[in-house]
Amino acid sequence: MNVRRGPRPTADRLRRLLVMLPWLMERGEVPVAEMAQRFGLTEAQLVSDIELVSMCGLPPYLDELIDVWIDEGVVSTGIPRVFTKPLRLTAPEGFALLAAARVAMQMPGAEPDGALARALEKLAAALGDVVVVDQPQPPATADISAAADRGERVRITYWSATADAASERDITPRRVFLDRGRWYVIADDHRSGEERTFRIDRIEQWAPTGRIDEPRDVAAPAADEWFLDDDLRTARLALPATAGWVVERYPVRAVEADGAGLVVELAVTDTRWLQELLLRLGSGATVLEPDEWRHLGRDAAAALLARYEGDGNAAS
Amino acid sequence: MADALERITNLVALLLETRAPLTLDQIANELRGQYPPGESALRGAFERDKAMLREIGVPIDSEVLGGNDAGKTAYRIDRRRYELAELELADDERRALQMAVAAARLSEGDFGLLKLGADGVASSAVVANVPDDPALPALREAAAQHAEVSFGYRGRPRALHPYAVLLRDGAWYVIGHDLEYLTVRTYRVDRIEGDVTVGATGVFQRPADFDVRAVFPTDPKLLGDEPASRAVVRVDATRARWVAAAMGETAVQRTLPDGAVEVEVPCANLDAFRSWLFGLGGHAEVVGPPEVRAAVVSWLREMVGVR
Repeated sequence: MNVRRGPRPTADRLRRLLVMLPWLMERGEVPVAEMAQRFGLTEAQLVSDIELVSMCGLPPYLDELIDVWIDEGVVSTGIPRVFTKPLRLTAPEGFALLAAARVAMQMPGAEPDGALARALEKLAAALGDVVVVDQPQPPATADISAAADRGERVRITYWSATADAASERDITPRRVFLDRGRWYVIADDHRSGEERTFRIDRIEQWAPTGRIDEPRDVAAPAADEWFLDDDLRTARLALPATAGWVVERYPVRAVEADGAGLVVELAVTDTRWLQELLLRLGSGATVLEPDEWRHLGRDAAAALLARYEGDGNAAS
Repeated sequence: MADALERITNLVALLLETRAPLTLDQIANELRGQYPPGESALRGAFERDKAMLREIGVPIDSEVLGGNDAGKTAYRIDRRRYELAELELADDERRALQMAVAAARLSEGDFGLLKLGADGVASSAVVANVPDDPALPALREAAAQHAEVSFGYRGRPRALHPYAVLLRDGAWYVIGHDLEYLTVRTYRVDRIEGDVTVGATGVFQRPADFDVRAVFPTDPKLLGDEPASRAVVRVDATRARWVAAAMGETAVQRTLPDGAVEVEVPCANLDAFRSWLFGLGGHAEVVGPPEVRAAVVSWLREMVGVR
């Protein structure tokens, strides 16, 4: 765990103590350094907490409630009386464990009767089986993820929304991640010579090349941060109240209430995406800024409408 | 006066060890010199300690006494409710959970792992950005313990017997029997307004045949008043392969000589249907039925400004 410095709130110290003490009692003695590292404390913090609980006591056992001492860098305990078992899981801890296990069961490589599945079964039996995760993987996910583990180049046919066309390229997948319900892979793109992020559901075909590249560690982006690139342009949109889902679905840079509706600022990766969004929003939405995008939605609708009205009948 | 941490540790030990529930006077007497003197200072300090213990999840039982102490509240901690239930996780199961927590990056997972005896340090090659919401732990617990929940949603109070929480398309939902509509309803958790109130436990039974996926179809285009409605959409050769792969070959009704396909698509929910359709840009066109085609045309006409 990460070590936090500075004064620690009493609640944090107590919460950790109620887990640390049973752990220590089960072992009898543990080096200070090992215990501090495990529980995310500095050695000085651990020593001060242990010294404090060693003074705890209730009549008539004033000095022996919690029998712990530190000698030559080793924490030891005598015969345990209280605090022999850790405090039960809190609601947020229980939720996080169950949800994490359920999410991980839908990740590439999860085995239906592997260790995680067995752990999940025990957790669900103890905490209740009421968390459902439904996060289907696009067909290429497992193979792309396996290629990332090996560092193997893959030849893919990729649909680019920006180019509105599919093209072939070689990529070395580096990290697979899920964000807002979609699977992505960060990869070395050998066509552009740059690192690129691909949507896995747009990989139409894929085949291994057998070529293994040098390992390279790529951090996964935190939620939303990869949309917040300063280089992206911003569009200001006026939306009807019914289009609140836009705020939930896409990372917005600002939201204001405006009468019955909303004004939002969205990061725009390409105008084709904005066009598609405007089509979905319909006539209730307006682009306020920038000027050159004001007619984007109308133009997109007009182009589509020409298809429907041009020949009078689509069913040829 | 003792350090607050020392006092609270003693308080937890005292309430765990006691056979009979203790009144505040008895507690102050046992922990002599650790609480500030004076009735109101004592009461204030004790209430703060209790609040802190609740915050970190220590269950404190309280009861109002009769007899000589009639009207006084007494406190204790039930050891069976305090202690972590033994899950008997094998080492590989614990490691798998560590990987899962590292992958899903949910804030309280690390501490939960510490309690389960794992050391909380792991990394995962695949990661997920799973949305976290402060209402989720309470909703999950209420569903597990069959407790009624109530909350505000779109400006209205709702009461629900929660059956499950579901993560789909990057958003959490709570699904349950709505006590006003008397039917199973789905609510998006991040749209819940304010706090969730949890009522008494054990007030309902989840129907044995309840299946989240049947109640709340994966495909939003199916979520409508007439679940059987379908449209036929022609998708040109550029996107035909992708659409066929995503929807399954059974959806493909015919393949045209130029490589385009005609697929059958659910359209009970017209909003969801339009989203899907416009996502294909100029590569897709509704062929029929006429009323769905007309609905798309009028949507586009309104945008262009032709009425």
